[in-house]
Amino acid sequence: MKYEAVIGLEIHVQLNSATKLFCDCPNRPGDEPNRNTCPVCLWLPGNLPHLSREALEKATVACLALNCTIQPVSAFDQKVYYYPDLPKGFQLSQHHLPLSRNGWVDIAAEKGGMKRLRIHHIHMEEDVAKLVHETEGKTPISLVDFNRAGTPLIEIVSEPDIRSPYEAMEYIKALRTQLRYTGTAECSMEQGTMRVDANISIRPEGTSEFNTKVEVKNMNSIRNVGDAIAYEITRQTECLEKGEAIILHTRLWDPDKRVTTAMRGKFAGPCVPDPSVAKIRVTEDWLKRMQERLPEMPAKKAERFVTEYGLTPDEALAMSLDRDISEFFEDTAKRGLSPHKVTNWITTHLAPMLKDRNQTIEETALTAERFARLLAMLEKGVINAHGAREILLKLLESNESPEDLVEKGQFRQVSDTSELEGIIDGIIADHSADVEDFRKGNEKVVGFLMGLAMKASKGKANPKLLREMLVKRLG
Amino acid sequence: MSGIYTYKNVLTDAPAGAASPLAGVRVVVQPNISVRGWPCDAGSKALEGFVPLQDAEVVTRLKSAGALLVGSSRMAELGFGLTGETSVRSLGEGADVAAMTDTMGEARVASATEGFFGFKPSFGLVSRFGLIGLVPSMECTGVAGRDLNSIIDIMTTIAGKDPNDPSMPDEPPVDFTSTPQGFEGPFRAGIVKESLDLLNETEAHAFKAGLARMEAIGAAIEEVSLPGYSLFRAVHNTVAAVEASSSAGKYDSVRFGHRSPQGRNWNEMYLASRGESFRLPVKAFLFQGAFFQFEDYGAFEDACRIRNRLVRETTDVLGAVDFLVFPTRRMEHDAWAAGSVRAVYESFMLTLPANVTGSPAVQVPGCAVHDGVDIGLQIMGRRRDDARLLSAASAIASSVLRG
Ligand SMILES: [Zn+2]
Repeated sequence: MKYEAVIGLEIHVQLNSATKLFCDCPNRPGDEPNRNTCPVCLWLPGNLPHLSREALEKATVACLALNCTIQPVSAFDQKVYYYPDLPKGFQLSQHHLPLSRNGWVDIAAEKGGMKRLRIHHIHMEEDVAKLVHETEGKTPISLVDFNRAGTPLIEIVSEPDIRSPYEAMEYIKALRTQLRYTGTAECSMEQGTMRVDANISIRPEGTSEFNTKVEVKNMNSIRNVGDAIAYEITRQTECLEKGEAIILHTRLWDPDKRVTTAMRGKFAGPCVPDPSVAKIRVTEDWLKRMQERLPEMPAKKAERFVTEYGLTPDEALAMSLDRDISEFFEDTAKRGLSPHKVTNWITTHLAPMLKDRNQTIEETALTAERFARLLAMLEKGVINAHGAREILLKLLESNESPEDLVEKGQFRQVSDTSELEGIIDGIIADHSADVEDFRKGNEKVVGFLMGLAMKASKGKANPKLLREMLVKRLG
Repeated sequence: MSGIYTYKNVLTDAPAGAASPLAGVRVVVQPNISVRGWPCDAGSKALEGFVPLQDAEVVTRLKSAGALLVGSSRMAELGFGLTGETSVRSLGEGADVAAMTDTMGEARVASATEGFFGFKPSFGLVSRFGLIGLVPSMECTGVAGRDLNSIIDIMTTIAGKDPNDPSMPDEPPVDFTSTPQGFEGPFRAGIVKESLDLLNETEAHAFKAGLARMEAIGAAIEEVSLPGYSLFRAVHNTVAAVEASSSAGKYDSVRFGHRSPQGRNWNEMYLASRGESFRLPVKAFLFQGAFFQFEDYGAFEDACRIRNRLVRETTDVLGAVDFLVFPTRRMEHDAWAAGSVRAVYESFMLTLPANVTGSPAVQVPGCAVHDGVDIGLQIMGRRRDDARLLSAASAIASSVLRG
């Protein structure tokens, strides 16, 4: 029998608000342990939570970016469970009345076209403290760091629309793109600002029932989510084929062994309305202001890049995925350059450089204005691609003008025929055997000799001119 | 240490200026009202050694109005009932007024037993910031005193919006300044016929005497009906137990409170510590709450729905009369001796409706008396009608003084 997977994802995203959700402590979990704490987030007796306006606004903008409908009334509940990372005995979370419902994102379907994946709801909740276990020493001890306690999260609960590891990964990437665009969250699985739990069940292909699901946790990259789901689908299929029943439980992904293993029975506590945190009632006016905060989102922007700049759909997609890049592209292209050339330089040169340096454009010294001047010099033949690349590296680090860098670094392209003639003379004289080869019909020799000639010009030769002259001489 | 106080203020605060509204007024607090630097154990081993880092908003306001905080009393564990409570007894010994939590009628019943005035303000009128509470939606800081004027003075000081308590509604402040002179009779008072079944013969006589006192100052008394009256107790018990179970969840004995040496891991240590810390009847009450949370959530939801209905019914009845009148306590149900949840509830049957609905209620001594027994006259008003309620109580009290 052929089976298909039914996958639902529950994704926790840390909002990047300045303060925690219910107090004014800085939302910086990574600081020196227990530095960002107060009686509210230490959950000491006598204290009352007061909802952060900024966190609520960021959560709302995030929901809007995921096409969710903001609910007119939402409220916090106490999710009761007892664990040392939650010494107050309950977590404030929106169980009964979430902030928003009914959203969606589009992904590129595996077999081409688009597929819409629905979001059931998004709710806000506070994060719990972090436990640090020290097992070395005579008595093992566990330390509690409250920096993370009370920091704002949104939990994005999907509908069970996802059918494959590929779709799960695309769904996460789509969420990440949308949320990063709004500037409300960083969404890094590696750094723990995005945590994904997957619910997986399988059923005979073509049927519509929902079977017992298994929850998988502890994946720390998008790739791991795909792998864990793939592993779980295989495992469950094997179980069914052996005639074993699937039992509702939670499994942990082991990134080293690349398997999932069962963890102890999950304890689901009750959710009771919290009597202290005021209900959230959304006014039309406020909601309108939140909608105005939403930037032009990637899909819209890509469409516009096609019509306004004549990019191909692929180019437009590449230029719109990241908000910084999209703004940088547009700012550069507006300065009278070929949009295709700008796209090409961003994708093949600038983006890999940024990745290498682990920086965003903002974090470098590069501006669109100087980038445009650099590309203009390239277009006019003042410098060649090799020189432009060298200068671009320098532009990331200093505020010098690209023109000054060309002069200082002697990057000006050599188009002087007598100078190039001299270089070619030298190469031909030193490599008579290769020249013979060419004349016997080995065309590859041209590339080899071009390489030597470019090197001899210290990369400054006008490559088009050089090649023409070289071929002429060889012929 | 005396039998009344768990902590006595040793600091001789600089005498407040004569202009301070509460200059020279001596206030005792229960040890669940945070006073910075004072031990505040809320009467429970679970909070042993807990010292708040901040004053409760009530305390901040009392201090800045020039009141002298004389110390903290003993109290029933976590403010559930009156077992072991001593703050009203301090009113004869060193204190003028007591600030005490009223979750099901504690301030009113304690005052009635000792022959004092006791007041529970409207819910949302006094900040809960710094109150180490148990039932957030029902409790508030009440005041017990030997005369109504001092209670009114305290209310003038402590009532009003506090940004640190976001559960307080954004409403204009209640103006206590014209109380008690501002009272303009006559008024209509309703007696809830369903409540009369709770009284024995002596209590019924005493209540009648109290009503006569009201009529003497011009009140028109009429019988009204609250069909859901018999549900107040079940609603209070269910909702309060669930909220208490959540509120008491934070007592994990790790950072403060009694910590048991038993247990091989954190879970066993929690269980042992909590088991050794809580006493009856609180322990049973928390069990009830956990039961509803984990095993019968539907019952809790029903209770919340019925609570809304009771609030509506009460509001409707209070639209036709100015006040509702009840006795405060029943002689055979001694709140101090209550050792079970059932017994605790029995002793607050007449007061807990005001906590369910969030209405203000005041206990007046010396009028509902029969055969030398004072069961207390309790007047309940519309929410936020606190000032007029205290005015009416003042008028009745003056007539008692005149004889
Ligand atoms: Zn804090």
